[in-house]
Amino acid sequence: MANDPADVLIIGAGASGGVVGKRLAEAGFKVVCLEQGDWHDKADYPGIRLDWELQQRKQWATSPNIRQLPQDYPIDDSDSPVAPLMYNAVGGSTLIFAGAWPRALPSDFRVRSLDGVADDWPIDYFELLPYFYRTDRDFGVSGLPGDPAYPPDTEDAPMPPLPIGSAGLKIARAQTKLGWHWWPEFNSINSTPYDGRRPCVQRSTCQSGCNEGAKASTDQTHWPKAIANGARLVTNARVRRIETNADGLATGATWIDREGHEHFQPAEVVVLAANAIGTPRLLLLSASDRHPDGLANSSGLVGKRLMMHPFANVAGLFEEPLMSWQGQFGDLIESLEFYETDEKRGFVRGARWGLAPTGGPINTALPSRAGEQIWGPDHHLHVRSHLGHGANWGLFAEDLPDEANRVELSSTVTDGSGIPAPEIHYSMADNARRMLDFHIERAKESMEAAGAFKIEVDRLMRFSGWHLLGTARMGDDPKTSVLDRWNRAHDVPNLYVVDGSCFVTSSGVNPTSTIVAIALRAADHMIETRFNQQVPA
Amino acid sequence: MSAQPPATTDALAVLDNGPRDRLAAIADVLIPAAHGMPSAADVLTDDRLAFVLRARPDLIEPLRAALRPELGEDPQRRLDALASEAVNLGALQLVIVAGYYTDKGVRDLIGYPGQMAIEVKSWLYPPYLEEGLIDAVLARGPVWRDPTTGKRAVVEGAPRTYEERTWSTTASTAAEGGNDGDDGA
Repeated sequence: MANDPADVLIIGAGASGGVVGKRLAEAGFKVVCLEQGDWHDKADYPGIRLDWELQQRKQWATSPNIRQLPQDYPIDDSDSPVAPLMYNAVGGSTLIFAGAWPRALPSDFRVRSLDGVADDWPIDYFELLPYFYRTDRDFGVSGLPGDPAYPPDTEDAPMPPLPIGSAGLKIARAQTKLGWHWWPEFNSINSTPYDGRRPCVQRSTCQSGCNEGAKASTDQTHWPKAIANGARLVTNARVRRIETNADGLATGATWIDREGHEHFQPAEVVVLAANAIGTPRLLLLSASDRHPDGLANSSGLVGKRLMMHPFANVAGLFEEPLMSWQGQFGDLIESLEFYETDEKRGFVRGARWGLAPTGGPINTALPSRAGEQIWGPDHHLHVRSHLGHGANWGLFAEDLPDEANRVELSSTVTDGSGIPAPEIHYSMADNARRMLDFHIERAKESMEAAGAFKIEVDRLMRFSGWHLLGTARMGDDPKTSVLDRWNRAHDVPNLYVVDGSCFVTSSGVNPTSTIVAIALRAADHMIETRFNQQVPA
Repeated sequence: MSAQPPATTDALAVLDNGPRDRLAAIADVLIPAAHGMPSAADVLTDDRLAFVLRARPDLIEPLRAALRPELGEDPQRRLDALASEAVNLGALQLVIVAGYYTDKGVRDLIGYPGQMAIEVKSWLYPPYLEEGLIDAVLARGPVWRDPTTGKRAVVEGAPRTYEERTWSTTASTAAEGGNDGDDGA
């Protein structure tokens, strides 16, 4: 069975892989997916157990370098102030993502035209809008319609909004007092029973798997449907390289099982959905005589322009109890007040603010994000003043592309299969630093307006590289882009990349909603052009 | 690192009396009895310690290292010495904190019931709508930047209250289909 040729081979069973797998299987394609992780049973997630916070710091850490599970690969991130985060499993990082579901905004696709920096995308917001609606339905999104930070919608979120909690309400009042935008966050988390999944119970353990199945993850929302339509999902299958023939077409992928045995999966079309670190790693690993610098890399941009959204945290502490250890982690409310460029601020572009719960007692008692350590008799006062009394504004700064920020293959580190690990080189640009500094000051004003008696700031959080973007950008010119506007590699006409690697610029919002809309658009295009698709003989 | 028995399924067997006493002394320095709260040394019973180390067997080795006899018996001097051993110090702190805050008595005292399952009552009118907070946002008009002009968008007939938005003819009701799940019971 393992060698049965596929119409389409998908590498990676996460967000974008799930979307493409479901869509193509529904359309009758013979789909095979290779996933280096495995299925999880939501009953095994630690959120319902007493040891949840302990597990979240190791077995369910968001960094693969900390988890070090057999399905993980190490990432040399020693040359980066931000550590990349991901999860390897059926469902991929949707198992551990927060579920916040903002879309990229219209201006995000026109950064060069509007602000004179970076590049414009070959597609725009309005072209993606029908796909946003479809992916909102497929993933299950809760939200309050009518957010004036976005163009008017013709279709509302499928479910009403989740509660914003006492902390959300307090900050919403402050934002209103200041005359600043805020809105209940859109989350891919059920507020009602939806599509066979239960509603959220506000447990706030979203980042170690949702025990209720209320948070959308493609192991629940997409893969069961894809498999019901004939897709074959092979787990514990780590891809070593994409193979090509003399015509320069992809012929399939060589992969290694957990016992170390090598296999080859032939396919007419190969789709990479392995995130913006795993995907360039595989393209670079697939170098050949014909592609000496890596597959699909005639532009030299594979692995370049890595963007991760530098992230700061501004925490306000309040006298009254807010029970802020509860609530969807996806975000309670957001603000896009300072999202768009105002050159008077001394930088271009902007940042999104998301208000999140604050964690349990172990997280509270240990040295905090802001580096504060309080031991001795005052430890108890510290915990009493922090636990359930906080509100956190998380600030996601738009990260402009820079070719010096990149993914390469390590010459010294390998994964458990002996395959070279990725190493990243990343620094935060001055524009982003100025941007975060500005936003930190405004977020402090928000907390002050809400009556915070103390404000704690983490100016750049290391374990915040949730949003991996840009390492195989799309564009119309093969000299300056890796993919065309349909996510097809310019150099390899039967190779697609559908994950966040395709991003031209990063936007300043959580990207999953936009990633999956683009992936669905690419899948639709594959279906529409199926009879013209060049495939190996 | 000092010679120690290999890791065992009995988490407590990793610490004999010497390290156990040192752990208690450190726990008493980090989290002493004060402000109506017990000391971590009193709370960190064999059961609590076993619970933590069973959940996190990876902590055993750095905990042993943090409690090695070479660092002496003075807890503050030990902590000072561990300042340059981030992994070992981190493990020591985590074991103490986790043992303390997973204790039911401590949780009761700090008013933390654990992460609870709370029903979402999505049919209730949210307080922010009741208070007019959304109306205030809508009254300011569109926030997004129109890429065709580069300026803040102007949307003719944009609703200025949530009630206007609700009855707007441009917005649909919830999408059809999809809501065919179980009742969450």
